[in-house]
Amino acid sequence: MNIIETRDLTKSYADFTAVSGINLHIPKGAVYGFLGPNGAGKSTTMKMFLGLTKPTSGSFTIDGKKYPDNRVQILKEIGSFIEAPAFYGNLSGEENLEIIRKILGLPKSSVAEALEIVGLTQYKKRLAKKYSLGMKQRLGLASALIGKPPILILDEPTNGLDPVGIHEIRTLIRSLPEKFDCTVLVSSHLLSEIERMADTIGILNHGHLLFEGTLDQLKLSAASQGYPTDNLEDTFLALIDADNGQRGAVR
Amino acid sequence: MSVSLECKKVKRTGFLPAFLGGGILAAAVPVINMAVRSEMYLDLPGNSIQILLDANWQMMTMLNVLLVVAGACLLYHTEYADNAMQKMKSLPIRESSIFLGKAVLTICMSLFVLAIEAGAVAFCTYHWFEIGNGFFSELCKYFGFSFLLMLPCVILSLLISEACKNMWVSLGIGVVCVFTATMLPTTNFALSLFPFAMPFQVFASTDVTQSMHYIDSAIAELAVLCLAQLAFVKARRLLE
Repeated sequence: MNIIETRDLTKSYADFTAVSGINLHIPKGAVYGFLGPNGAGKSTTMKMFLGLTKPTSGSFTIDGKKYPDNRVQILKEIGSFIEAPAFYGNLSGEENLEIIRKILGLPKSSVAEALEIVGLTQYKKRLAKKYSLGMKQRLGLASALIGKPPILILDEPTNGLDPVGIHEIRTLIRSLPEKFDCTVLVSSHLLSEIERMADTIGILNHGHLLFEGTLDQLKLSAASQGYPTDNLEDTFLALIDADNGQRGAVR
Repeated sequence: MSVSLECKKVKRTGFLPAFLGGGILAAAVPVINMAVRSEMYLDLPGNSIQILLDANWQMMTMLNVLLVVAGACLLYHTEYADNAMQKMKSLPIRESSIFLGKAVLTICMSLFVLAIEAGAVAFCTYHWFEIGNGFFSELCKYFGFSFLLMLPCVILSLLISEACKNMWVSLGIGVVCVFTATMLPTTNFALSLFPFAMPFQVFASTDVTQSMHYIDSAIAELAVLCLAQLAFVKARRLLE
């Protein structure tokens, strides 16, 4: 069963189409890796799911609820982290989460739980503006994870983290569906990153969905089209190159 | 809930001290004026509140309006500085309720400032004039009128701050509006309906009809500005 489905979802700006008629099928309880080079339309798609930007055409349903009719209901089910950590710099990490907790109507214990999950408990009283980049990233993740939402939308969640932090967050994301019975949509422009986390992947380039399926299916599909399959990084690059060539895009 | 959230968000921003300090500064205006040149006012005809407000209200209002502009800028600066607004928009809360929470908070703080100023006027009357019968009900009328006329200015300041992600832009627009308002003649009804100019009006107990026109206009402006806020939120979502 798919928890998120899109139908010809499109977002255009004056002279530029960021997302062009994509049809995504994100299965419930899976980690779905959203892969694509910078500017491929990953963040725009995620923003549309969160109601941060309005689709130009097409539609999507999240957990059977249609946007925009059920916008608030949809947002109650989603924990999100988009592009960069978003927080109140004048408040401590704990106070930031307290605000989100109140809006979501969660029990008080959920703040401590979220801080514990991302390893920020000992820094909870420090002002968020004084956090390091990695700590801000963790605070952003905590604000997405608070209340254990059934759907998590994470846009490049490991940006700015050191290798140990990347490993921790990757392990955490991988464990989330089993631990909290949730679905994770995670984006990255690094195939190696997605390869280690995702069950299913969607590859986006210039707003077009080039591939959707499991990693094994990607290998099969790539092999049938004559692309290298020994290294997934090469497969991904070959796919993107071929697509850019077809569109006449300048890299 | 929105108001209590907004109260939490303004922690450590200097919002509350700014209103407290600004209120005391504006309240000090009539006290200092009377302390240094009371002889100019003691022999004037009319009630003491009218005399004191005629002499000091321009300066006091300018401080009040500047305070409202600065407060509105601070409130939205906390939202935009570290992108917190994006997080708020991705939560099940409407942007309009965030705006409403901020509006209620700013209105409460404006009321607090006006209460300090009313206290200063009462002190001046007690010290230099005489507190007669019905003084406090008159005082409430004067400051209630000023409070009502302050509301469109509060909402417009917040709307400007919401529209401009850079605090310096909204602060600049606000300051230009305040100084424009000080240049508009208060005797011209149409010009004095500019939301930043309206608070410069003093309740005229002798001309209740004129005061009622101002109150009606303030209510109409409030309605228009609230609709503008709703339209703005929708338009921005379309363009983003």
